[in-house]
Amino acid sequence: MAELPAPTEDEFRRLCEYLYRRTGMIFTEAKRYYVERRIFDRMAATDCSSFATYFARLRADTGDEIQQFVNAFTVNETYFYREDYQLKCLTNDLMTERVRGKHSGDMIRIWSAACSTGEEPYSIAIWLLENWPSVDEFAIEIVGSDIDTRVLELARTGTYGKRALMRLPPELIGKYFDALPGEQWRISPQLRDSVSFTSVNVVNPDQTGPHGRFDIVFCRNVLIYFDDASRRVAAENLYENLFPGGFICLGHTESMSRISPLFEVRRFADAIVYQRPEMKRS
Amino acid sequence: MSADRKTILVVDDAALVRVYYRSILEKSGFQVEEALNGLEALEILLVKAADLLVVDINMPQMDGLTLLRLLREREDALASIPALVTSTESEEADFAAARAAGANFYLVKPVEREQLVEFARMLCGVVP
Amino acid sequence: MPLVRKPTHPTEHLKPSPAEVRTGLVSADAEERWAAARAAAELPGAETALAAALPGESDPRVREAMFTSLVRIGTRDSMAGVLPLLRSDDSALRMGALDALRSSPLAAHEFLPQLLSDPDADVRLLSCELARSLPGEEASRSLCALLAAESQVNVCAAAIEVLAEVGDQAALATLARCAERFAQVPFLEFAIRLATDRITAAGKRG
Repeated sequence: MAELPAPTEDEFRRLCEYLYRRTGMIFTEAKRYYVERRIFDRMAATDCSSFATYFARLRADTGDEIQQFVNAFTVNETYFYREDYQLKCLTNDLMTERVRGKHSGDMIRIWSAACSTGEEPYSIAIWLLENWPSVDEFAIEIVGSDIDTRVLELARTGTYGKRALMRLPPELIGKYFDALPGEQWRISPQLRDSVSFTSVNVVNPDQTGPHGRFDIVFCRNVLIYFDDASRRVAAENLYENLFPGGFICLGHTESMSRISPLFEVRRFADAIVYQRPEMKRS
Repeated sequence: MSADRKTILVVDDAALVRVYYRSILEKSGFQVEEALNGLEALEILLVKAADLLVVDINMPQMDGLTLLRLLREREDALASIPALVTSTESEEADFAAARAAGANFYLVKPVEREQLVEFARMLCGVVP
Repeated sequence: MPLVRKPTHPTEHLKPSPAEVRTGLVSADAEERWAAARAAAELPGAETALAAALPGESDPRVREAMFTSLVRIGTRDSMAGVLPLLRSDDSALRMGALDALRSSPLAAHEFLPQLLSDPDADVRLLSCELARSLPGEEASRSLCALLAAESQVNVCAAAIEVLAEVGDQAALATLARCAERFAQVPFLEFAIRLATDRITAAGKRG
């Protein structure tokens, strides 16, 4: 196959503008080389011999092409304590707001709504146990869900390799994991038993509804790839799964500005999060 | 970056409009940030200071007047950020609604280069 | 350990009856209207009730849920129910209607031709956005048909905005003629030049 010439300035801009509108991602001149590379790679992978053909494919999102393209620019590996700025926000600000008005022994419910192989919900559990001074005062329920039942099985098993644990200091690994042969670690039985995993498609209100209301929902790097119609439904479902005043955290490059007008934006020291409005006092 | 360059946040869902305003305003010495609806604008403002908003009225997710009303309700510096509102509409009722929402000025689209620069300079307190 | 695990499974989720949905849509309580709007998505024939409730709905979140349910129902009738709202005096209602129509490629395909030739310039302007949901060639053709006959500057601007993304080689002639007609409008001159550059670039290699 003949070597493809570099995308022109206009092609680069056209693609960048499209992706900005669709996903909110900004590709600056500084990223130009990487974007061009990605265009080449994807054109080869999808057998598109011209930029026009490829761009048409991207616009139609054939074969999840938007996600395929953008994957190269987001960290897709899941590991413990990933995007820890949100965990910091959790203990520095979100938990404090949520326990206002709650009494000792009351429940706090946290949902990891795209939990994949479990790193996120287990990370939340470990982080809270290690960093939240009030952790023993309340009953904390953590639920992990995903649409993919295979990854849920892996989450329930709770066995991970070295890469997944790379951000955890040794003393935490020692405390919460049991070492297994072959450089594997398994979440301790007590912690495994404390997190429940369920199969949920966030676009389906019949599946989300029964889980009730949460204080905090994490739904990272999923919504932005849905089509317009699915995004709207998912946002409404998640809205219903929040208490008034409850918070929802999206992925680092995501914003509700591309998804739904239902939530209010809150800026905290560590993160921007979204909030279901509190009940109005009339 | 010069410390006295004023920053203008351009809020419009039309990419070509944003590119157009950016080229005009940058040539006149302003720094330009962009947002494509009121929600994105609000998120940017929570994190970055801007000296002026140039904001279109009709946008998805959150329109320009809703953004302005939210800002004016705040108790911080954002409540008094100058705002130049743009719209294709040109009825007296539209001007009144914009004023009521907290707009400082209103320009009817398509916006003329000279008007944009003149109002931007005035609202940012820049002496030409 | 402060972490607790509750036994699944959770609260039984009773669906409201059609009658309950209809009364719920006009309840004085916003929470009830929200629930009814959501439930309406699964009720055959609810599109009429939803379209009727929308103009009077003051709560933006309930309105959003009503539009979403019309999108979820996704029939020609449900999308047809949204069309009149493009003419509303209420900007939020207009934009909400546009967003709903934008989420439905079926709506774009069905209604774009009539919308782009609507006597109301505001409707034509908003409808240009809908062309984005169509395949490139169809979108480009529809917008060019509009542009060739359009006298309103801002409607032209809206069409050119979308053509910059979806326009093909066949659009170049229409854009050039538009530039001639509106030579005295700097923004249009700028926009046409940019759109032309984009289309020309993409066309060069393939």
